[in-house]
Amino acid sequence: MHQYEILRRPLITEKNTAIQAPQGKYAFEVAAGANKEQVKQAVEKAFNVSVTGVNMMTVPGKGRRARGKIVMTPSWKKAVVTLKPGDKIELFEGV
Amino acid sequence: MKVTREKEEDCQVFLTIELEPAEVEEALEQSYKRLAKRANIPGFRKGKAPRAVLERHLGKDRLLEDALNELLPQVYEKALKDEGIEAIASPSIEITQTEPVVFKATVPLKPTITLGDYHSLKLKAEPATVKNEEVEEVIEQLRRQHGTWEPMERAADFDDLVTMDVEGYVEEKPLVSQQGVQYQLLKDQPMPVPGFAEELVGVKGGEDKEFKLQLPQDYPRAEVAGKEARFKVKVAEIKQQRLPELDKEFVQTVNPELKTVAALRKQLSANLLIRAEQKAKEEFEEKVIDAVADLSQVAFPPVLVDSEVERLLEQQTRWLQAGGGGMEEYMSRVGKTEKEIREEMRPLAAKRVSRSLVLGQFAEEAKIEVTDAEINAELESIVQSAGGDKDEMRKRLDSSQARLSVEQILTTRKAIQQLVEIAGGAKGARKKK
Repeated sequence: MHQYEILRRPLITEKNTAIQAPQGKYAFEVAAGANKEQVKQAVEKAFNVSVTGVNMMTVPGKGRRARGKIVMTPSWKKAVVTLKPGDKIELFEGV
Repeated sequence: MKVTREKEEDCQVFLTIELEPAEVEEALEQSYKRLAKRANIPGFRKGKAPRAVLERHLGKDRLLEDALNELLPQVYEKALKDEGIEAIASPSIEITQTEPVVFKATVPLKPTITLGDYHSLKLKAEPATVKNEEVEEVIEQLRRQHGTWEPMERAADFDDLVTMDVEGYVEEKPLVSQQGVQYQLLKDQPMPVPGFAEELVGVKGGEDKEFKLQLPQDYPRAEVAGKEARFKVKVAEIKQQRLPELDKEFVQTVNPELKTVAALRKQLSANLLIRAEQKAKEEFEEKVIDAVADLSQVAFPPVLVDSEVERLLEQQTRWLQAGGGGMEEYMSRVGKTEKEIREEMRPLAAKRVSRSLVLGQFAEEAKIEVTDAEINAELESIVQSAGGDKDEMRKRLDSSQARLSVEQILTTRKAIQQLVEIAGGAKGARKKK
């Protein structure tokens, strides 16, 4: 998998913005097949920061009613990246 | 906050106000709180988005705009107080710069009115007279109204009434087609086509006539304007008007109460005199007001003229609508944009403003007051003249607003009356009989 395919999009939510500044943690949606090492390298390359830790989890799809049946929304993978203290990712400053 | 006061002109003050960044920051914070409560941003509950997120989502300008909307009126009020300025209407505010925020306010001030020496004003009212010719003219009109049309065995002449079938074509397309239409031959009659009546002079009953006419360039129907029209006319009958003799019988048909021609003349001339007096009185009032306004020094901010223009325009729109056309049609007819019409109204509006200011000032100086009883009487007379449900009308008029406007009308009326008396000499215009 190419490095550029690893990071899907930044996750900007109430919870994620709350942990950005105090803990230096940033969350992304990443490709389903990516592993921690790939995410680390992709983030370091894309935002020019150093990563000290990566936590990843699969967010299970949820049931959704469509045409009278319950269908599943796709599962996806979330990565929470911890940066070296002092580093910042500008992309998250707002949007 | 720094306020710079610039030159004054036309009763206006120009203020340039610079805001301190801290002031703006505080307002921004408040407007962030206000806006965050309503902003729907994915990933956040309402009111929970941090300011940075909100700023990116809505745009910084939006936040600033909201903050300034809130802040400017307060700052403006304060600036007025600090500078001791009394404004009579809301200012026009123009933001010239945002870092730091600087805005310019044009503040309209109270008009200054210095009445001239109206006590020395001496004008003469035009006496109201009725000339004999005018009476004769009215009698002529009456005779024509009561006249009868009689068939004639002769060629048609002007003022005759022709009964005919008419067909008109422009390039094989029918223009008019009417059977048994009655048409009076009047000189320079533009309908249906200029020159039509002239062509018909000399025709006889039962005669056919064909002729061609050039349609004018400004003919109302644009598609045929400037083209040649062919007309086929079949004349059925020619009638001439027989005017009734000016005798007792005629007088009786006009007004059964009158017995003689002389009595009719007398009555008519009395009516005309009343009308002429009314007109002379109004003209004299106008003249007096104009003269007083000319004598006086009046300065007022342009916003007053603007609002007067607005009022005039509204009046005209309503008037045009009553005529069925509407403002748009009028504009296309005279070929002017609304802006041009506004521009044209300005001098008139300015004159009206200065006149009303002068009258108001005069009323104040002369201590003209209107009593409650007078207002009640005026309201009652409005009710009486209105027709319809009187109690309903009374209820509608019984508001402090209505009373206030009646009071204004009465004050103006009294002021005019007093001015007229001063100008025309104490016994003045009203005694001119």
